[in-house]
Amino acid sequence: MTLILFTQIFAALALVFTLAAFGWRLRLFNALARPVDRSTPKGNPRLGILYAYTLGMAPWAKESTRRHGIAYLRGVAFHLGIFLGLAILIVSPWLYLLPVAWRTLLALGAALGALLGLAGFITRFAEHNLKALSTPDDYTAVLVVSLFQASAGLWLVFAPALPLFYMVSAVMLVYAPFSKIRHCIYYAYSRLFFGKFVGSRAVLPHSQQGAR
Amino acid sequence: MPQSVDTALGILNKQLNQPLAAALEVCARCGICAEACHYFVADPQVENAPAYKAEQLRKVYRAEHDLLSRVFPAWTGAEPLSDEKLAQLAEMAFNKCTLCYRCTANCPMGVDTPLLMTTLRAMATASGYGPEILEMLADAAIEKGKDPEMYLEFFRDSIQDMEKELQALTGNPQASIPLQKKGARMLYVALAGAHTILPAAAIFETVGEDWTLSIYEAANYGVFLGDASRAKEIARRIVDEAKQLGVEEIVISECGHAYYAMRWVAPNWFGDEFNFKVRSIVEVIAEYVKEGRLELDPSANPEAITYHDSCNLARKGGVIEEPRRVLEAITTDFRELTPNREEAYCCGGGSGLVAVPEAYEVRLASGKPKAEQVRRSGAKVVVAACENCRLQIGDLSGHYGLDVGVVALADLVVKAMRLPGYQETIEERMKAEVSVVGN
Repeated sequence: MTLILFTQIFAALALVFTLAAFGWRLRLFNALARPVDRSTPKGNPRLGILYAYTLGMAPWAKESTRRHGIAYLRGVAFHLGIFLGLAILIVSPWLYLLPVAWRTLLALGAALGALLGLAGFITRFAEHNLKALSTPDDYTAVLVVSLFQASAGLWLVFAPALPLFYMVSAVMLVYAPFSKIRHCIYYAYSRLFFGKFVGSRAVLPHSQQGAR
Repeated sequence: MPQSVDTALGILNKQLNQPLAAALEVCARCGICAEACHYFVADPQVENAPAYKAEQLRKVYRAEHDLLSRVFPAWTGAEPLSDEKLAQLAEMAFNKCTLCYRCTANCPMGVDTPLLMTTLRAMATASGYGPEILEMLADAAIEKGKDPEMYLEFFRDSIQDMEKELQALTGNPQASIPLQKKGARMLYVALAGAHTILPAAAIFETVGEDWTLSIYEAANYGVFLGDASRAKEIARRIVDEAKQLGVEEIVISECGHAYYAMRWVAPNWFGDEFNFKVRSIVEVIAEYVKEGRLELDPSANPEAITYHDSCNLARKGGVIEEPRRVLEAITTDFRELTPNREEAYCCGGGSGLVAVPEAYEVRLASGKPKAEQVRRSGAKVVVAACENCRLQIGDLSGHYGLDVGVVALADLVVKAMRLPGYQETIEERMKAEVSVVGN
């Protein structure tokens, strides 16, 4: 068995494990009660939900993201980099079919995600309030995910790094369900509840309110 | 494990539903919510950041529910609940968060920190750490509902006195304040005292509204305690009254939390949709203005006037444009605070803080952003459609030397109605109230 095959199997098993663990978490979550809102809506809850997933995420939609636009966009790009890394991992056995220019472009995307993750790590360490909010898990999660993206980018421009990419991926995937990384599966629900709240009450989007 | 801790954890587990679990799990601790909180803006310490406050409950939750945290608590910052910690959490939940929802609206994840703080309030109340005064007020309201006949006669007498004032104000000797009128279209629920009854009565009388006054007050202290069973009992008095009288709608006086509780939460306590509408009097007045049912003279209110959005009415209730439509019709120099509407800062007096004497210093300190907003506006009068906001802004005016008057929307509407007896009744009453509030 070659090193590549061994690490590939390892990463595949880790992927299965993380999917199963997230599935189990989602099952537990869905077993919890979801309160039914019996108040008569003033606005449109569906419009609120749509807003929460779309325009409500725009950098200009909230005072906080207007004020911290760069930090917010850094976070968004970092998370896009994670999805890119996951896509690279899943199609890795066939990526050699892509032209070099495309692979280089993907590598740049992953590298950018890694750099932005590293920037987040340093900020978390350096900024007083953020440091006070952080736990060892927060640092580890950002670091592991940044390394995952970096290894993806490295492999795309340096083929012998493939076993390293698989190993780092496996570590990240096994760690994810136990750590803060798992916030990814709750994000959709949290935005859903927020959207329903503001939509039902005609607070957001602004178009629900008439004279704006 | 002490009984109080056991009780508190029992409440946490009982209340753990999907929205609460999402709020406990989804925070990435990015800290971007910090400046959304008026406590943090007034005093930029990490302890005042919503994420930090919410994290205190998450630590307890993780210690109970998270595998990694149980094995390596230091790794995730998990902390088991103790009696001492419970007392700290109670103090934080009641005094360091007004449940204003501004952090949630500013969070990229939509973390519902007010839900977490409400859960903490419920845990604290159940285990004996709730503010005594709020518990007393809630229990007194429930007792009143058990035997309303005891005080009904006294209430009738005071209403009769108020009717005389109403007749003088409107110049109509037939003007009345109907009580327990069966078949009335609207049940109006006021606060304690004449100041939320008389202006509303003058408006209803003028437009010929078919209304009746509730024998109960709108305030619901059970909501502040996070105690759904007490809150439900308090709301039940009004819901039952509305059903007995067969009204089409309940109209809540200018009170943020009372509106929020009855409009948005109470149907969920009772597990059923109401067969009557619930509106704020602000919405009702806006409708009268839109329909041209009130003759209004904006020159009656020539001062620089601004409007403070109560969090319960605006960000949590959607009553945002209605007060502005009314103010456009009754003022000549209306100025917005910046930010406003759903982005408005909390005044710092919400969620029961105004009623808790021990919270006096902390609420004045946390109201600094609001005070600065008011000062920047150059307004001489602040309109607030919430009693607690009015009391708080009045206190802020004195504390920060703003020198502003604080009034309800209905007060200014009545002034713009140019009623014949205005000077002798409402204005004198308002002057007295503003001077009390301003002290």
